[in-house]
Amino acid sequence: MSPAPAAVAALLDAAMKVVGPAHVLRSPDELSPYQDQFAFAPSGAHVPGGVVAPENVEQIQAILKLANEKKVPLWPVSRGKNLGYGGAAPVVSGSVILDLSRMRRILHVDEKLAYCVVEPGVGFFDLQDYLDEHGIKLWLGAPGQSWGSVLGNALEHGGSTTPLGEHAAQICGMEVLLANGDIVRTGMGAMENSATWHLYKHAFGPGWDQMFTQSNFGIVTKLGLWLLPEPEATLQLKMEVDDVDALEWIVDSLGPLRTNGTLNQFCAIRNYMGTATRNTQRSDWYTGPGAMPDSVIDTIQRQLKVGWWDISLRLHGVDGANRANADAIQRAVSKHTDRKFEITAWKQGEPRARSGQPRATMNSMHKLNWPGGRGGFLAFSPVMPLDGKLALAQFRRTRERMQEFGFDYYGAVYLADRALMVVSEVFFDQDDADQIQRLRRLFPVLVADAKAQGYGEYRGHIAYMDEIAGVFDFNHHALRRLNERIKETLDPNGILAPGKQGIWPPGQGPAIKGRKA
Amino acid sequence: MIRALLVGALCVAPIAQAASPNAAELYRRHCFICHQAGGTGAVMLAKRLQKGTSPLLDQRRDLQAPYVQAVARQGIGTMPRFTRIELPDAELGMIADWLAAGPDGRR
Repeated sequence: MSPAPAAVAALLDAAMKVVGPAHVLRSPDELSPYQDQFAFAPSGAHVPGGVVAPENVEQIQAILKLANEKKVPLWPVSRGKNLGYGGAAPVVSGSVILDLSRMRRILHVDEKLAYCVVEPGVGFFDLQDYLDEHGIKLWLGAPGQSWGSVLGNALEHGGSTTPLGEHAAQICGMEVLLANGDIVRTGMGAMENSATWHLYKHAFGPGWDQMFTQSNFGIVTKLGLWLLPEPEATLQLKMEVDDVDALEWIVDSLGPLRTNGTLNQFCAIRNYMGTATRNTQRSDWYTGPGAMPDSVIDTIQRQLKVGWWDISLRLHGVDGANRANADAIQRAVSKHTDRKFEITAWKQGEPRARSGQPRATMNSMHKLNWPGGRGGFLAFSPVMPLDGKLALAQFRRTRERMQEFGFDYYGAVYLADRALMVVSEVFFDQDDADQIQRLRRLFPVLVADAKAQGYGEYRGHIAYMDEIAGVFDFNHHALRRLNERIKETLDPNGILAPGKQGIWPPGQGPAIKGRKA
Repeated sequence: MIRALLVGALCVAPIAQAASPNAAELYRRHCFICHQAGGTGAVMLAKRLQKGTSPLLDQRRDLQAPYVQAVARQGIGTMPRFTRIELPDAELGMIADWLAAGPDGRR
């Protein structure tokens, strides 16, 4: 439910006295960067009502008070670069963006115990620069698009290809502002004189860190995040595999080694489109109707000298242990292929470029050039069991759907230790109405296909929060009902990010089918 | 001190930002991450520009300040728009003037 424009205007007027006029934005021109920069939703959807950018906790508390008084929803963003999932844009039009990007202090880095404490506005480049400048031997796990916030990425369940690549799992201890302005510290940090706030995750009583990820229960203003001590050595293993159906044996070879810890990396298997989108445009290869046919894909693979799947792995630790683990990985895949991994070895003290450390980069943006024009992308990210046969079936199912709707398949399969994230991305030209229409019809079909297999998404675009939340339907959507009871208790006026992850204030969400009154 | 153990509340002095960054620092922070050699901005520009024009913004001699400002605010191609919070008008103006001066003019 959008707020009354007069209420929004009154909030913005009052907020100017809190944060200063330069930090309140309201004209369409000023608000345009806060809209979804890869928009495909109908115009008028997800349009911010204004922006307020506080620089400290006290200012946020004052804005929360105003929002409660005027019943205007706020949409907090850390740096607002959640590209592919809606960027900084709110679910509910008229929501005022609470832009926390001015809060960019790195509050603490502990090299010995390998963690940092950051505010929302600290980006991956900021933290990387800090670690470099101070010669701190900790690795941050930068994602492929590193423009965003370290804190925001972890809260949104983002990842990178390191042993600590599931970033939400590295969260340890937060400071959170509740809708009423109360300041809470989670976990061991709940003690006034805690010595272990960011060191131990399982404190006395329920764990609240994860309750504040992908939620709208509070505003996280400080986050403890575990970082990877620089390994003594790394070994990178690379192999291109030509056969599309090889995905089954790739997953079944590597999966058990992920589960037992031999392969200590949150690793990704990417398809040929990773290389093709980096270096070329679609029109370089194909201008016909529908998705690219196999003959064109064959040409791309031949000319770019890439396989259908790119297995890029990295082992971290003591050199001898890495080599023994690499042997075990080679033995496992040798049951299926004669190919040998290309191996790059690195030891501490050697040039860092060879280490394989995921440095902050923006190069995953290259792929937006693929469709031509103003490129955009939308990610579809179901979670499924770590099983080769199931992975191949899900890949084929998704690929066929994308082809049915005229899109080329781009995907990466991320191996967690017991599950797979099959992240498929659809590229589109933002100015091509036909593509936009097809994309809008495709996404709900992909969600329903996955649900039929018992798979749900780990992340989603603001336009599909309700669709995705809707598949989590055990016992008449008991989890949604629990979330909404918590929401009602913590945020009775519904001022924090209504609709985020399908969690709504009372009476505002879509009706639950078959729900008892 | 930075590496000291955390005891009690956050005990380490917050890491200060540069009080008034100069144009080169602002360029590095906001633009260079994409517009360095091999970066996504440089790669896109190499496709779009005529031969003989450097794809690296800080090597260009043909940039005008209003154009730089317009691109940063409105985006171009696949380049996203910058907000006035992350990059206030005054700072964008410094970057635009710095780029418009060209590699010779700023030495």
